[in-house]
Amino acid sequence: MTSPFRFNPLQIPAELEPLRQEVRAFLLEAKQEWSGWKVGHSWTGFDREFSLEVGKRGWIGMTWPKQYGGHDRSSLERYVVVEEMLAVGAPLGSHWFGDRQSGPLLLRLGTEEQRQRLLPSIVKGEISFCIGLSEPDSGSDLASIRSKAIKVDGGYRLSGRKIWTTNAHLSEYMIGLFRTGAGTSKIKHEGLSQFLIDMSSSGIEIRPIADLTGEGHFNEIVFDDVFVPDNMIVGQEGNGWVQATSELTFERSQPDRFLSCYPLLPLTIDALNQQTNDRLSTRQIGQSVADLIVLREMSLSVLGQLDEGKTPSQEAALVKDLGNSYEQRMPTLVRELLDSPGIVERGDMLSELQGYLTQSVPSFSLRGGTREILRGIIAKGLGLK
Amino acid sequence: MTDDMNISEMLAEQLERFFTDTVDRNLLVQVEQGTAATDLWQELEGLGICSALVSEAAGGAGLSWTDAEASLRTIGRHGAPAPIAETMLANWVLSQASLTVPEGPIAVSTELFTLNADGTLNGSDSSVAWLPSCQHLVLIALRNGQAHVCRLGQDNYPTAQQETLSREPHSALNLNSAKVLESAPIEGLGTNGLKPYLACIRAIQISGALEQLLELSVEYGNTREQFGRPIGKFQAIQHSIANLASQTAAAQVAGMYACRQIDAGNAEKGAMVAKVRAGQSAGVGAEIAHQVFGAIGFTDEHILHYFTRRLWQWRTEAGSEYWWAEQLGKEVISAGGEALWPSITSQ
Repeated sequence: MTSPFRFNPLQIPAELEPLRQEVRAFLLEAKQEWSGWKVGHSWTGFDREFSLEVGKRGWIGMTWPKQYGGHDRSSLERYVVVEEMLAVGAPLGSHWFGDRQSGPLLLRLGTEEQRQRLLPSIVKGEISFCIGLSEPDSGSDLASIRSKAIKVDGGYRLSGRKIWTTNAHLSEYMIGLFRTGAGTSKIKHEGLSQFLIDMSSSGIEIRPIADLTGEGHFNEIVFDDVFVPDNMIVGQEGNGWVQATSELTFERSQPDRFLSCYPLLPLTIDALNQQTNDRLSTRQIGQSVADLIVLREMSLSVLGQLDEGKTPSQEAALVKDLGNSYEQRMPTLVRELLDSPGIVERGDMLSELQGYLTQSVPSFSLRGGTREILRGIIAKGLGLK
Repeated sequence: MTDDMNISEMLAEQLERFFTDTVDRNLLVQVEQGTAATDLWQELEGLGICSALVSEAAGGAGLSWTDAEASLRTIGRHGAPAPIAETMLANWVLSQASLTVPEGPIAVSTELFTLNADGTLNGSDSSVAWLPSCQHLVLIALRNGQAHVCRLGQDNYPTAQQETLSREPHSALNLNSAKVLESAPIEGLGTNGLKPYLACIRAIQISGALEQLLELSVEYGNTREQFGRPIGKFQAIQHSIANLASQTAAAQVAGMYACRQIDAGNAEKGAMVAKVRAGQSAGVGAEIAHQVFGAIGFTDEHILHYFTRRLWQWRTEAGSEYWWAEQLGKEVISAGGEALWPSITSQ
């Protein structure tokens, strides 16, 4: 018997320290203007101006080839930049989905024309992408989507509804999954295709949905006979399921899956230093830090495997499962250690962060695949039949 | 590097085959009832595992801790009923101090003792694993603040078997002007002596035993039928076992991290992270496996408790996960919030 998963270690080499310090110095200044509420949004927070600044410094599309405006840097360099940003809860939302998901998708499967046209603008931070997967009747059961793309002369006509699409109302483009052919009752995920959709196309209606924090980050999008030209299909017609799910392997193992609440931790430590410390609090902090270090090791290991051209889907699912539980627990940990009233004191960094994150953590084990879906994937990978 | 990787994997695979053939429930019962696995030990010495960490110049395999991780995990995966990992540690520290590496199993105390001016030892340890069945004992003692590696023979200390969760032989150790066979100064061990090293070893053994629980649970889920189908078809069971897999993976990565830290001279850091993470996984993992197996897994005749009792034992030894969490917590809190992130990225 051998281990059912592999986590060969990957270390960040010392040569990347200057890059890290450069990012840190940039963020030290930028973060002076951020409220605790804003920091709580972290990678979902949309701030186009900030993204333009990040783009100027060459920190979007870092690993992409120069010919598309990219910077030909290593995935480890990107990791350094990303984890520094997440550690301070930087508002990455405007470029995050393009940088993490849609750009890499176009690099792997897009046409030369699509790459030339879109990648340089993503790199500059000028355009944003959203991801159109869920529908009103298709949440975790993603393969059951019904939104259709019907072949017409010169392109496709899209109709149907997408929902829970983060920042759709602020994005220039969507990568949407639509049905181009019939699935069978056994193999529902056949006949799906991915499209690059210009969100200003006629026939698209975007309806913001207020969430429980009182804000509207996600949306319902109605497609009423929206024309998409042939050159905007991504990859192969009918291959959308495989394409969309392989994207998720990249998505699931990154540090945004365990650092979403990190800014709470240093503030809590500082608050503990203002009071008499007991041994249990000390132990809780030690445990949280140990967990974090191990999660980071796991995430780096998956990165190394992706770089080697492997597909560590199982390992990525394990990182997200553990990572989401870790970040989700953080506001509770704060309450265990500090007197944390149910009052959001505006202007108080810790209070705003705690107030926002207490309300938003339930979404952490929903977005990007629910905990239940992930555990199903893990169980299947272990050989439970 | 590739050559090293091969040696490390070859040794682990060799051990895996060897334990698959030799370690079964009968042997575990025999050792828990007080009869040492002497045949197992003799064959083990032939495999060279005990001197894996000893430098080639001193007659060992010269593996780094990182290279030895897979072997240590294999030892844990089978609950191998002999002080193999302890002897590896003892031989490593003896060779670091340029002392003779003896034959036979060696117990390790993780407490710090006092090396008297006349060359005898004073001090105590509330529990030393495998002490009653070892010919030698290795420990660290201080003389004028200088750490010394000391080797004692079994005639130099009395043993009295303790009752433990794992039922592997343990004994308390009380030394009062005890005779030392050999000693030599050693540098760079830190204020906790051998404790962080054994803590890392226990973390790795835990990750191995969790792999065993995971495999047993998957197999049982696929074969045990209730309500007309294998219980592994029920989501409740699938999700529990998936959580067991997450806990196992985290423990495994923690153990690898520990080895890297030891190789870099930061055994304390390795122990703080690895024992804390693996210790948590041990508790959660054992709980899940017992729930999956139901009543049969709670019986004496079933193999499960030979691993879960070891998990409960190992998490307590060489500093529990809570003790190490407190050490890490103290360090982190006193350094202040701003220092935390740089400390995480600088390892």
